[in-house]
Amino acid sequence: MSWIENRFEEGLMVTSLDWAINWGRTSSIWPMTFGLACCAIEMMAVGASRFDIDRFGAGAFRATPRQADLMIVAGTVTYKMASRLKRLYNQMPDPKYVIAMGACTIGGGPYFKYGYHVVKGVDLVVPVDVYIPGCPPRPEALLEGLMRLQDKIKSQTRAKDPISRVRTEVLAN
Amino acid sequence: MTQLSVPWRPRAKQQHGPMAALVAGFAKALYATFAPLVRAFPGPLLIGAIVTVIVGVWANYLVFEFVDTALVAADTNVVAETGLFGGLLAITEVRAGLIAAGVPGAGTLCYLLYPLQYGLVRDVIGAGGLLGFISVIPLYVIWWERKVAGRIQSRTGPMRVGGWHGWSQSMADGIKLICKEDLCPADADRPLFKLAPYLAFVPAILAFFALPFGTYWVFREVDVALVFILAMLGIEVLGVILAGWASNNKWSVYGAMREACQMVSYEIPMGMALLIPIMAVGTLSLTELGDTQSGGWTSWIVFRNPFTFVAAIAYYIASLANCKRAPFDLPESESELVAGFHTEYSGFRWSLFFFGEYAAMFVVSGLCVILFFGAWYSPLPMSLAESWGLGDSLIARAIKGLLFAGPLWFVGKCVFLLYVQIWIRWTLPRIRIDQVLYACIQVLLPLMMVVLMGHTLYELFVPTHGLVWSIFNIILSLIGAVAVLGMIFIATYGFWNRVGLVGSLGVETLPGS
Amino acid sequence: MSEIALETRPDPLAGTDKSEQGDVRTEEMLVNMGPQHPATHGVLRIVLRTDGELVLEAVPHIGYLHRCAEKIGENLAPYQYIPYTDRMDYLAGMNNNQAFAIAIERLAGVEVPLRAQYIRVMFAELNRIASHLVAFGTYGLDMGAFTPFLYAFREREMILDLFESACGARLTYSYITIGGVTDDLPDRFLEVLDEFMDYFEPKIDEYNQLLSFNQIFVKRTADVGVISAEDAVRWALTGPVLRASGVNWDLRKSTPYEIYDRFDFDIPIGLPGGSEGVPRAVVVGDSWNRHIVKVWEMRQSCRIIRQAMEQMPEGPHIAAKTKNLKLPDDEIYIEIENPRGQLGFYVRGDGTQIPSRVKVRGPSFCNISVLNHIGSGCLLADIPAIVGSIDIVMGECDR
Repeated sequence: MSWIENRFEEGLMVTSLDWAINWGRTSSIWPMTFGLACCAIEMMAVGASRFDIDRFGAGAFRATPRQADLMIVAGTVTYKMASRLKRLYNQMPDPKYVIAMGACTIGGGPYFKYGYHVVKGVDLVVPVDVYIPGCPPRPEALLEGLMRLQDKIKSQTRAKDPISRVRTEVLAN
Repeated sequence: MTQLSVPWRPRAKQQHGPMAALVAGFAKALYATFAPLVRAFPGPLLIGAIVTVIVGVWANYLVFEFVDTALVAADTNVVAETGLFGGLLAITEVRAGLIAAGVPGAGTLCYLLYPLQYGLVRDVIGAGGLLGFISVIPLYVIWWERKVAGRIQSRTGPMRVGGWHGWSQSMADGIKLICKEDLCPADADRPLFKLAPYLAFVPAILAFFALPFGTYWVFREVDVALVFILAMLGIEVLGVILAGWASNNKWSVYGAMREACQMVSYEIPMGMALLIPIMAVGTLSLTELGDTQSGGWTSWIVFRNPFTFVAAIAYYIASLANCKRAPFDLPESESELVAGFHTEYSGFRWSLFFFGEYAAMFVVSGLCVILFFGAWYSPLPMSLAESWGLGDSLIARAIKGLLFAGPLWFVGKCVFLLYVQIWIRWTLPRIRIDQVLYACIQVLLPLMMVVLMGHTLYELFVPTHGLVWSIFNIILSLIGAVAVLGMIFIATYGFWNRVGLVGSLGVETLPGS
Repeated sequence: MSEIALETRPDPLAGTDKSEQGDVRTEEMLVNMGPQHPATHGVLRIVLRTDGELVLEAVPHIGYLHRCAEKIGENLAPYQYIPYTDRMDYLAGMNNNQAFAIAIERLAGVEVPLRAQYIRVMFAELNRIASHLVAFGTYGLDMGAFTPFLYAFREREMILDLFESACGARLTYSYITIGGVTDDLPDRFLEVLDEFMDYFEPKIDEYNQLLSFNQIFVKRTADVGVISAEDAVRWALTGPVLRASGVNWDLRKSTPYEIYDRFDFDIPIGLPGGSEGVPRAVVVGDSWNRHIVKVWEMRQSCRIIRQAMEQMPEGPHIAAKTKNLKLPDDEIYIEIENPRGQLGFYVRGDGTQIPSRVKVRGPSFCNISVLNHIGSGCLLADIPAIVGSIDIVMGECDR
């Protein structure tokens, strides 16, 4: 089982039950279609034929938050949109994950300085699991972010709760 | 980087019992032992697994048969009757029968075979097998759909989960859905909310109990099997309406009403199309309907006369609409934009709707195969099998099952019809709801009325196996054969002449270098 | 760092949910579409007042992607502002760059070399093809035909490969800049482009067979959302929407900018049903016409690209001395033809490097305003058909 080595954060023991459940969860991450701006086009390209996110099992984009477990925030979050985003995040059932795709969702992006209507980072609205830098990030970067999220899910356990959320930053692109 | 200003809360803990831990440990051990094997020999293992399942099911059937016929006591008046709560043979008689039949290991085997006299035991085993089949079919039809959709869209489908072409993708989906949080909207009608998925899922399962897979391969031989199955498919509408109502969402009700309306409207042409083979053969029992088509390709009901031909096509289209499959899945797309009946469902409850849909697809395809496309008989006529002089030995029955008649042919034809459904879904756009109902009530329904009338007159005035009858039979059989052969030819031609896409138009030197 | 307040205004639909509880009679309902869509329209919210299936009023609510582009323009020099123009209409980055570049060049009197103009036109037309491919694909997705979307994206990936080889980016290029283009074409670019053209032109017919002439698609889009020619002009619609209503108006022909007057191409306009190659149910100005005009425009763009490839001269790829460009104390407003319509830039210089006002006229903003006019009176399922055919991009609608 070589693919499983070195994939866990050190110091965490994963029981068999966790392993089985995590396997199910990583192999079937269903994203919610939450394309806001330019990054949405790259997200669509990831769903298209060349990069094909369905290979990872994550190809079933669900439109309703109730049936999705991943929210890929692709695009700039504005103040007007932020409350909708929070509401949709709340409607997702646990366990749910958030990928912040693109520079705008990480810290406001190019609109950091003069954008009065732009929320400077989506982690001010929802807790984020993986950040993917880029403007827009290449589809390969989004796929790597997805794989990092899979690693993160694999390290989850019911045995003890992590004391602090580990922010995984992806040096891609 | 910004500070995290949303306070982090621990995730909702899930309760799992010791049984789950045991099962998970077992699963992990299995994985550790078998994963290298699966990765090394995926093809042979898959084929081996399928063959094992087929042989296992057949062996079960043979055992049942053996218990029925071979265990006759020395006193020939006593036959092993299988009532629900009792057989007539004692264990000693079973042992004696086994020794007389020359079966080795009669001493221990009699203890195993003794309970099989009891109808209840057999029912449990049969129901278990059937439920196993039903559980596996949606799993693999979903995987198959994703792969076929991928190939149509010039990409591969799931590739990673489980190693070889993502074969365990559906299992992973299932595990994930089971472990999701169980949401129920605050003001929803809780008992009805929980009941609705079962109302949509269970009738589809029940329909399998009357669906024959072969002449003797039916869980319960029901005289009015067709009516029973149609009734079960009709109960699903209740599940849809209840789901929309119980979600406490105005637009869920709206969407549910529209889906229910579509499902119910298309049951009319569906039922009328099903009347035609019944009229042609004269029975509602599905096993008899199947058995009349044992004479090879030309005896299939779809090729009998032009009316059955049209009825087969109309039934297929109506069944697509009844199952809410594309191109009739506008309510599903509207649920993406506005709301639909299963918008508020998540996790396991939603997966029940999903499974129920695929189970119903299989049932409806099964009905199509039994009533029109030769049930479990192959295109070769059974008389050919007789003329070959195959006896009743196991080998002979295996050959007969593979070549002439058997549940494999039934399942294969159902899978083919499902494949066509998947094709259609990923090719055609959706039809608007008013056009859907227009097509039902103003096109299909009058057409089916005319076909029904025509078929009645045909049956009354055209003598069976007369000249006119035979001419139509032969012409339609030829059309069918040309269609199937044409399909095979086009597929082979396309595969043979497949061309790689123009590759990535990369340039060799980057600008500025 | 101060606490940044989130949107706290109450949702305008909050009251209707509970108060209109009751039985489901055929009364008027307020239905809310969006702002989260299945990834095609972007953040557009449409509030529909419906009576059963019939839509009485369709009001678009925009502003969910307002990214303060115009304010940013008042603080950055033009060559710094080029990347922001990319992100407005993110499907047609080259065209946006070109619009702003032309505005600044005319304002400041910069002369663009001929080779640079040819390259710009070539890339703008390639981007037009890419943008129309996305519009085509997502329209099919709206109508439920999943497959043309993937074929369109497959072709688009090849175009993006070309863009990437020239400027390094797939979506937001910032390639066309003040005075020309940032870098010359790479080696073998024209050969590879020729190969792509040979591959792509037959595909347009294939797509028409798959989607445009499919009976179900025609039934869903023909005679849906008809905009007459007078209405189109009155509502200031531009681009394929205007041309589909029969108005023969394209800025590339009527007021040619750059070197469009050197090329020989046609302007496809909407045709009535029964004409050659048009199904009978179609009406001038309906959604089907808006769709097919884009497909025909792709063919015309191929023609322009081929002519540009043949006529491409040698020379510098950017004008000299464009750094530290000082804008005169003057204003300019120019419009060019975006794949979506007429994109206009108004720039007011004040003698320094940084403009004092940048205003953008977004074609999607004007095009979406017609939704109420044509949406009322149609069925609920027609709204995606109409919105998809108008082909809006919220980035430039909200700026």
